[in-house]
Amino acid sequence: MVRSWDDKIFNTIVYVILGLCGLAAILPILYVVSVSITPFGEVLRNGGFILFPREITFSAYRTLLTESNIPSAFRVTVLITVIGTAVNIVLTGLMAYPLSRKNLPGRNVFLLMIVFTLLFSGGLIPTYLVVKSLGLLDSIWAMILPNAIWSFNVLIMKSFFEGLPEELFESARMDGAKEFRILLQIVAPLSIPVLLTVGLFYLVGHWNEFFQAIFYVTDRTLFPLQVVVREILMQSQQPLENAENMMPTQTMQMASVMIASLPVIIVYPFLQKHFTKGMLLGSIKG
Amino acid sequence: MRKVYSLILTVTMLGAMLAGCSGGSGNGNNTGGNTPPSDASQPSNDAAEPTGEASGKSIKLEVIETGNNLPSPDKDMIKQELDKALNIDLNLTVYPSGDDYKNQLNVRMASGNFPDLFMVDRQQLIQFSKQGLLLDLTPYLDKLQKTVDFIGEDSVKKGTVDGKVFAVSKSPQIPYNTYWIRKDWLDKLQLAVPTTIEELAKAAEAFTKQDPDGNGKPDTIGLTGGKLGAFGPVFGAFGVGGPGTFYEKDGAIVNSLYDPAMKDALTFIQQMVAAGSVDPELLANSGLQHQEKAIKGQAGIVYLDWPNMTKEQFVEQIKTVNPNAEWLQIAAPAGPGGQFDGTWDIGASPGRFAIPKALEKDPEKLQRIFDLLNYISDPAGGSMLVQFGVKDTHYTLEGDVPKMTDKAGEVGHSWLYQFTGRPEMEYLQAKFALQSKEIQFSNDQPRIETLGGFIDNPEGYNPADGDRYIEEEFAKFIYNKRPIAEYDDFVKTLESSMNYKALMDSATEQLKALGFGG
Amino acid sequence: MRTGQLETNAPRMQPASQTKLQSALKAFWRFRAFYVMLLPGVIYFIVFRYFPMYGVIIAFKDFSIMDGITGSAWADPWFKHFQAFYESPYFSQLLTNTLLISCYKLIWGTFPPIIVAILLNECRIRWLKSIVQTLTYMPHFLSWVIIFGILLTLFSQNGGLVNRWIVEMGGESIPFLTSTEYFRSILVGSEIWQNLGWGAIIYLAAMAGIDPTLYEAAKVDGASRMRMIWHITLPGIRSIIVLLFVLKLGHLLDAGFDQIYILYNIQVYPVADILDTWVYRTGLQQLNFSLASAVGLFKSVIGLILVLGANRVAKKWGESIW
Repeated sequence: MVRSWDDKIFNTIVYVILGLCGLAAILPILYVVSVSITPFGEVLRNGGFILFPREITFSAYRTLLTESNIPSAFRVTVLITVIGTAVNIVLTGLMAYPLSRKNLPGRNVFLLMIVFTLLFSGGLIPTYLVVKSLGLLDSIWAMILPNAIWSFNVLIMKSFFEGLPEELFESARMDGAKEFRILLQIVAPLSIPVLLTVGLFYLVGHWNEFFQAIFYVTDRTLFPLQVVVREILMQSQQPLENAENMMPTQTMQMASVMIASLPVIIVYPFLQKHFTKGMLLGSIKG
Repeated sequence: MRKVYSLILTVTMLGAMLAGCSGGSGNGNNTGGNTPPSDASQPSNDAAEPTGEASGKSIKLEVIETGNNLPSPDKDMIKQELDKALNIDLNLTVYPSGDDYKNQLNVRMASGNFPDLFMVDRQQLIQFSKQGLLLDLTPYLDKLQKTVDFIGEDSVKKGTVDGKVFAVSKSPQIPYNTYWIRKDWLDKLQLAVPTTIEELAKAAEAFTKQDPDGNGKPDTIGLTGGKLGAFGPVFGAFGVGGPGTFYEKDGAIVNSLYDPAMKDALTFIQQMVAAGSVDPELLANSGLQHQEKAIKGQAGIVYLDWPNMTKEQFVEQIKTVNPNAEWLQIAAPAGPGGQFDGTWDIGASPGRFAIPKALEKDPEKLQRIFDLLNYISDPAGGSMLVQFGVKDTHYTLEGDVPKMTDKAGEVGHSWLYQFTGRPEMEYLQAKFALQSKEIQFSNDQPRIETLGGFIDNPEGYNPADGDRYIEEEFAKFIYNKRPIAEYDDFVKTLESSMNYKALMDSATEQLKALGFGG
Repeated sequence: MRTGQLETNAPRMQPASQTKLQSALKAFWRFRAFYVMLLPGVIYFIVFRYFPMYGVIIAFKDFSIMDGITGSAWADPWFKHFQAFYESPYFSQLLTNTLLISCYKLIWGTFPPIIVAILLNECRIRWLKSIVQTLTYMPHFLSWVIIFGILLTLFSQNGGLVNRWIVEMGGESIPFLTSTEYFRSILVGSEIWQNLGWGAIIYLAAMAGIDPTLYEAAKVDGASRMRMIWHITLPGIRSIIVLLFVLKLGHLLDAGFDQIYILYNIQVYPVADILDTWVYRTGLQQLNFSLASAVGLFKSVIGLILVLGANRVAKKWGESIW
């Protein structure tokens, strides 16, 4: 009896705090959505603040989807994201797995080499020269290969692999399974949560890609989504240089943000069910 | 112990790699320097363009600059017309963020992957030209006659470093800024349009305290604007320029910080602030926040350019918020030092375009760039095209005066192709026919002519630190966090700690050399 | 063949070192599959990360674009650009601000995502969990320009919602965004808000790896939910917490350029100007690559020392990165 009473209090606390967190996140988001579908004059009339729009217009979305480069940029972004994330996951997994074996000779050297790159980089110009000499300029590969592996994600994945029970590997080795097969058939299925997490990090990274695009790509047809969105957002931060300069309204800015982030936001709920506590490991062991 | 060992190993590995790399890239860079780097980059361009070089065929030109809203090539009528007229394939890339643009240009210059024509600021112009990256245009000036005629001698000087022309500077612009005031608020409070700074301060105070919008709430402010610029005409009324500006006064070169009237101006502004009649977040206004405050009906006086107040888009917004709102453009208020609507830098350039030195080796391409520059500068050639679009499609001529048609929106980006500028007044009058009165008005205002654009920062002076100190201390004076009695101490610290003396000496010398100050 | 030659050339070679070499080779052979797996990654790191690293030498040179990185003349003295940085009148203020803002973010920013992850993990209502998880994840996709807009509508001194409310309650409006008192709190708060759900993802993944039989056993023993969190959940994600903390330490001198650059203004410079914003104004805007590089190198070296030190401490708890 006492137990369930405690449980109820505990649950209530959990729900209240989570509810507050949700509220803190949703109000500003609601504001972004509302502004994006309200005529800008209306926004200003309300002192710039609107939570529930009274007058709805999708004209900002229509303009962005028909008159800007967003549709073609969208295709580029999807392409980079899909190819890029696949490349990332394969390379990161191949690196993280051997490094998770604590008895691998030279392991510390490799790990230190990875940590080192988290802190030191050669800078823009030499990296540009590498990309240029590999002939990657003005291709989608210039937005994929220079960041093919994030040191951070290797370390995360490695740390997860280390947490897998040792018996798994021993029994597999006794079966005479080769390392590649162990990685593919035993480690990978058991590491779905981390693969998805790291995959999500990479995916979001590619989706938000603009830095490399700005440097390595001059062909406008290869510009990804965020470059176009950034163009819209940055204009509001620049001083007036030309009378013709059309400043995008806040409505337009918010709409561009919505278009650019909605697809990645939608992905997340689909991944969530794979984070359920102990599901996979339990089923194998049990 | 093992960690130390592996650390050493990593470092050795690194060292070996560095040694290997620096050798390799050294070669790469030397080729970039000695032999024309275009050799490295050109073949790829030509490969992409099979018709290149062959004969009088189309040549691909790459131009980069800051800008925005460039349509894709298939929708870009200006590009198509220029391509047709000059037998080129003009590939323009624009960067909305000035920083992104700078970084892009720098890496491309460093890697020998030069664009054929690119925008530079004064700092880049000096550095690039000193490093031998830019083509000296002086020997080619006769080939650029039409361009030179179009931009004028003064603009040629703005692209000059050490007597050599390294860039084509756009033809000069005209000032856009003035004070704007809510006429309906003045009427409601029965105030006259302010003509002196005292009246301005009074109106601002009344706007803050007497509820001009009649909603019963103390939610209005008097004056707003972008940072200290909001006080431009107030400084002007004391005959001083904004903090740190150089100008001529009574035949001598003066820096506003040393101008005796500066203290009076500061005192006046400090009193305005103390009366609560100035936007408390004035110094934090970035982008167009002050304009937004004005449109929202929060502020009654704003220092703003006419496009951001009178373009249809904004007029509509103002009317949506309050159909009775009426913004009036007013002349600079008078004060003890005269009547000046802020400052206007006569040394500044609206934009400069340079050509890489590497193109020396490619006379055919170089000629096309000259053709392009001359064509868009030629009133009988393409000048009208880059200003107004295609004749009889986007504009019609009524006598000599161009009139925009309703298809003009298609070439709203034509300004991106005005590499040599435009005849500013005529252009604006035609393109913004509805605003012609306001354009004329702001152009007619007297302004203190400042000389900052002629001054290059000397070695040993860090403008980032200096500017910060000036801005910070001015903020303190204005908000009465530091008594104005300490103004002289401020200048002393500026000279000693921030090495402002070095700037003063160098600036005076530079300006004297150009014939200013007697 | 090669071993034979070695023997003839150095007949008196100690057998000890030979067996060492041999055992090393043997080990290498035993782990060959692992090295093959590492190969693509190592090639990547060498080509894209280590090869360009010669670029750091521009910190010691007077970089000229024309002469390139290797061709530019060495700075005289070699520490010239470090000196320029050190001699800025703002040096100590910049360093203090950077460290303070960064430490606040580290201290206040580490726990909220962990707490949210634990709460989500404990949440028994599936729809609530899913909704909160998604909602808190969304702010990560708003850029600082947009967040600045949101902050303005909330905290602006004239017309900001919070101030409107304060004034209506009869108080004085508070300059949240322009006073030195509140600005750092705004920085830290908005960063926590932005990364609450995003930061929780990784802990949730770690919790998914905890063996559920542990919880079942604890339940049988009559352990309370709090006890299970303390004795099972937290230890289960300990290695990830340590890993993230150590890596964050490495970036202690990055206090968040993007955020501060968008949010700050002249009145809060004394508490908000950090190394990166100063470098931006001084180095990049004035094309002084060498100065920017010198400060970058300084930051990296400090970061490396911190990471090495933190890893050593972590090792004592058995949670080192390497």
